[in-house]
Amino acid sequence: MRMSVFKSVLLPAAIIIAGFAVVISLSGYLERVRPPLPDGYEDSDLSMNGSRLKGYGLGMEGLMADWYWMRALQYIGGKIVNSKTEFINIDDLHDLNPRLLYPMLENATELDPHFIGAYSFGAIILPAIDRDKAINLTEKGIANNPNEWRLYQQLGYIYWRLGNYDKAAEIYERGSEIAGAQPFMKMMAASMKTEGGSRDTSRKIFQQMLDGSDDPMVRLTAERKLMQFDSLDERDAIDKALKDFKESNGRCANLLAEILPMLHSVRLPQGHEFHVDAANRLIDPSDAPYLLDKEKCVSNLDADKTKLPVK
Amino acid sequence: MAIAKNAFREAVRDRILYNLILFVLLITASAIFLGELTAGQEARIIVNLGLSAILIFGTFISIFVGGSLVWKEIEKRTVYSIFSKPISRGEFIIGKYLGLCLTILVNVAVMGVGVSLALLYVGGGKLAGTIWGAVFLIFLELTIITAVAIMFSSFSTPALSALLTFFVFLIGHFSSSLRDLAESLGSKAAILLFKAIYYLLPNLSNFSFITNSANGDAAPLAMLGGAAAYAVFYDIILMTITFVIFKRRNFK
Repeated sequence: MRMSVFKSVLLPAAIIIAGFAVVISLSGYLERVRPPLPDGYEDSDLSMNGSRLKGYGLGMEGLMADWYWMRALQYIGGKIVNSKTEFINIDDLHDLNPRLLYPMLENATELDPHFIGAYSFGAIILPAIDRDKAINLTEKGIANNPNEWRLYQQLGYIYWRLGNYDKAAEIYERGSEIAGAQPFMKMMAASMKTEGGSRDTSRKIFQQMLDGSDDPMVRLTAERKLMQFDSLDERDAIDKALKDFKESNGRCANLLAEILPMLHSVRLPQGHEFHVDAANRLIDPSDAPYLLDKEKCVSNLDADKTKLPVK
Repeated sequence: MAIAKNAFREAVRDRILYNLILFVLLITASAIFLGELTAGQEARIIVNLGLSAILIFGTFISIFVGGSLVWKEIEKRTVYSIFSKPISRGEFIIGKYLGLCLTILVNVAVMGVGVSLALLYVGGGKLAGTIWGAVFLIFLELTIITAVAIMFSSFSTPALSALLTFFVFLIGHFSSSLRDLAESLGSKAAILLFKAIYYLLPNLSNFSFITNSANGDAAPLAMLGGAAAYAVFYDIILMTITFVIFKRRNFK
């Protein structure tokens, strides 16, 4: 009986476990001894042109589009993770050289022309890489989905980033005429015409982006931007307090803590308030302490600690 | 009807429905893990993945089961005992076909429910309802592939039937490319040949609605009706050809 259990259960189980142990260690060994591929291999474009793949997906073009979409997300995510920098400048991703992002999104939207998520992602992220391609992709999205007012919002955003407020106003206006468009599209068209470059308009744009997107990267971009505007408001108020302090004391404050009493009465936009850490230091919206430039008597972000764009 | 029921029971006995377990695992894993990878697009990806899996699983069942259904009866010589009863060869073929279609219908319906449940889990409630037009179209496509497989099975071996049916599946999806190719060719004979292939082979792209469905589009009734009529007529043509071939076969 014992012999039969050994033969029928224990021995095969031992062989299988031992076999896997050998196979797993061998695969690790093979990875180590395999000659490395040339630098930049992982960045080479081996994907096929989406427009040529159309009709060869056996009715599963949507699945292929999803595959390109996930590859695009992993590609840009991998670039960010591998960049080894602690904070990414979301306004300019050129340093990451994510040159395959556009072809991947282009393929995804060629295979599924109604893939709104891919157009939206491209509209928000691509301007930090290549603005012309961002415009191309979003205009293609509008051509394929003329009733998607959100694509007009995103195209308007790209033109706003380019500083072309008249064009942005025109795009917002066109989008506002689509059935189901949010009333803010009309308001944005007006804001673009009158105060396109203002901080208030910028804040509205990123607040709408935050409210309207499920994409973590897009939301992170919008959140960081909103924090940056809050910080700019705070620094305006801090610098004004520093100036007042200098005028009444004949010198700049030694520490930002010295002007804290003066900031108590300051009303920040959006009903925001100043924050201090446990050491009673004024902190920015990413919880990094502000620095005092005593020479110029102005406040600055701490480039080493803040998560906000310093430029 | 008895033959159809028997064919269904045989498919169940052959553990064809076990593929549902694999499908359930695939969909469950997708629903749980896709959220991390898809940046808010998990619902559309579940639709694309789920409906494509229904099509692929169904196609394999049609090809491999359909391709051996008739051959097995001949090889095991059970066909003699069947024909000794008051059952005609036509009834036998149609019964086998309907039995396999029933198996596929059960498969497709259960998988469709699985996709709907996964969509409800990830918050894609609207898509959970609108995918059913696409599911129905996939079923119609599979009835044609099954008919093709049974037709090949009536005169060839399972391996050859599977291969030929797979080719028909591929060409059926590429047929619009064949038509475009024909239009770009200079030779009149080639144009005629490719146009003949385009019209004679089943145009399976008529049943493709997965990508639209993932974007929340519901298949219009006119399309569903037209596709159902196309499938029924094509199935009748294929069953007639199968019947003619099978009638001429000598089992002695």
